[in-house]
Amino acid sequence: MSSSVLICDDSNLARKQVLRSLPEQWEVDVQLAKHGLEALDVLRSSAIEVMFLDLTMPELDGVGVLEAIKEEAISVKVFVISADIQPEMQNKVLELGAQAFLRKPINSETLVSTLQEHGIM
Amino acid sequence: MAYELNEDQQDCLQELINVAMGQASDQLARYLDTFVFLTVPSIDLVSGKGLSDSLETTEESMAMVSQGFFGYEGIRGEALLVYKHEDSDRIGDLLGYEPDELSVEEQLIDISSILTTTFLNVFATQIENQMSYSAPKLISEMQGKLSEHLKQLSFDWDMALKVNINYQVTDYSFNCEMVLLIPEAAIENIKTVIDRILEEY
Amino acid sequence: MNGEIELSQVTDQLNSGILLLDLQLNIVSWNRFLAVHVNQKLEDVKGKLIFDVFPELPQRWFERKVASVIQLGTPTYCSWEQRHHLFELPHTRPITTDSHFMAQNCSFLPYEQEGKLVGICVLIEDVTDVCHYQSQLKETMKQLELANRIDGLTRIYNRKYWEEALGKEFARAQRYTSELSLIMFDLDHFKKLNDNYGHQCGDLVLIETASRVSSLLRDADVFGRYGGEEFGIVLPQTDQIGALEVAERVRAAISNSPIIFEGKKISFSASVGLATLNSEHKRYEDLISETDSALYRAKSSGRDQICILQKFNKCS
Repeated sequence: MSSSVLICDDSNLARKQVLRSLPEQWEVDVQLAKHGLEALDVLRSSAIEVMFLDLTMPELDGVGVLEAIKEEAISVKVFVISADIQPEMQNKVLELGAQAFLRKPINSETLVSTLQEHGIM
Repeated sequence: MAYELNEDQQDCLQELINVAMGQASDQLARYLDTFVFLTVPSIDLVSGKGLSDSLETTEESMAMVSQGFFGYEGIRGEALLVYKHEDSDRIGDLLGYEPDELSVEEQLIDISSILTTTFLNVFATQIENQMSYSAPKLISEMQGKLSEHLKQLSFDWDMALKVNINYQVTDYSFNCEMVLLIPEAAIENIKTVIDRILEEY
Repeated sequence: MNGEIELSQVTDQLNSGILLLDLQLNIVSWNRFLAVHVNQKLEDVKGKLIFDVFPELPQRWFERKVASVIQLGTPTYCSWEQRHHLFELPHTRPITTDSHFMAQNCSFLPYEQEGKLVGICVLIEDVTDVCHYQSQLKETMKQLELANRIDGLTRIYNRKYWEEALGKEFARAQRYTSELSLIMFDLDHFKKLNDNYGHQCGDLVLIETASRVSSLLRDADVFGRYGGEEFGIVLPQTDQIGALEVAERVRAAISNSPIIFEGKKISFSASVGLATLNSEHKRYEDLISETDSALYRAKSSGRDQICILQKFNKCS
């Protein structure tokens, strides 16, 4: 059975980087979102298991998405992939319920080991 | 010649800048012991005239620090750090100097140099490059000097790639705008670098 | 030449200082420029703390400056425009400059070995000449600017500058809804005075008038020569009552005592118009024309008096 995955990033390149870093053996059904509002639309209308979330985005940023997920009690495992690596920001997203924080630019090794650590795949 | 970046190139440059901004802000936050709020940078193509119009209408009282940068593969340009006047007195605290230890002018130059070089160093690493810098120069707070400098800029080139990055340091509610200008002659070079990165994906 | 080039041969001939420090700020090396200017041999300073060799350096400032190089790995700069010099070094044109020490541009650069930061390289550039010419230029510009705003005869502001200043005060008063008054006065029968005693006498009266009135005013007031024998005073933060007091003192200062010209006592007087900013004044020119009309009425009501158009609508 394939897992449903949502990649939310305003950058096309960054979305591609995440896609390419996903492990080959992992059967996924991927949806893409260009900013927080689009991501919330997807989350509300279909069940998503894993979301990869950028922070610095137009319309609604990643912190806003995490807050909405918490408030609406949406069930999804969120992995933040961001360039904003300040410790204060990392702590903030973890407090808001993100599974892990990964720094940009993302590579396959880190992504895979993080996914495994969290019992996905 | 068309200087415009296509959608992919623009997206790629924006992401490179994002990552550079993130790492630079992290270094800054540690050095200054504060938190830097990140926003999405904007990238436009401007004419010399358009630039002076956009900068001159922002505020009547402001200060600007200019610093040139140049790297391999013909990547070069000028960084302008633009400050609102009311922010100037917060910088000394931010930099960790005692009052009276350095003048407002020195503070502006110091913080500008730090913002510019941390950002561009990270940016350069990402594109496997290395930057050299000219000494930063304060373009007096007097309106006259500012427009003179902008006029001089637009004399040197007709079009430039302009990247706007906003730095907000939360603990000090200090705000400044970094404007990177890459003149037309260097735009082709940066496009070449971007295309090389895009090819990898 | 073989591949191994000894770069110090080149750096020793540079007309700039190169100073290499370790991360604890001890001196590792310097080039001949510094050895010569400090007048010490490298062997004698090697390993010494920089503050022991250059006690003039502001230690805390210097440490904070260098901290950014060490922590961020980025260069930092210090220009003569902000700090004339850091290191007290003699310069080579001791006669034509007014400073004892060499003006400097200093750069602090990260020094890396195998990708690891191991020290700081300080470049010290002699910019005494630049500094010297720049300060001369600044002085000249200042004089030029002054000459541009001053009336040659009376040494008070000329019309152009005075009107600009009025425009600024007008805008400021409107923005902050603060008081603003304007006085304009004109010497009475000035043409007759010129005809009877000559232009030299007329000039003397103008100079004397400017000097007497200047001594009555506050720093914030802007006093200028508007035309031949007409003067204007901008009074920021001043209401009608306050302005009337000033106007009376101006009138009295002019007519109370004569001047002596070629042994003769010559009396003179002025007619004074006054107006205070109100909501009907849309542009500063409106304020001028109301003051001018008041001045005209003061003239036609018999001279040597003050007139206000609004409110009192009478002459005093």
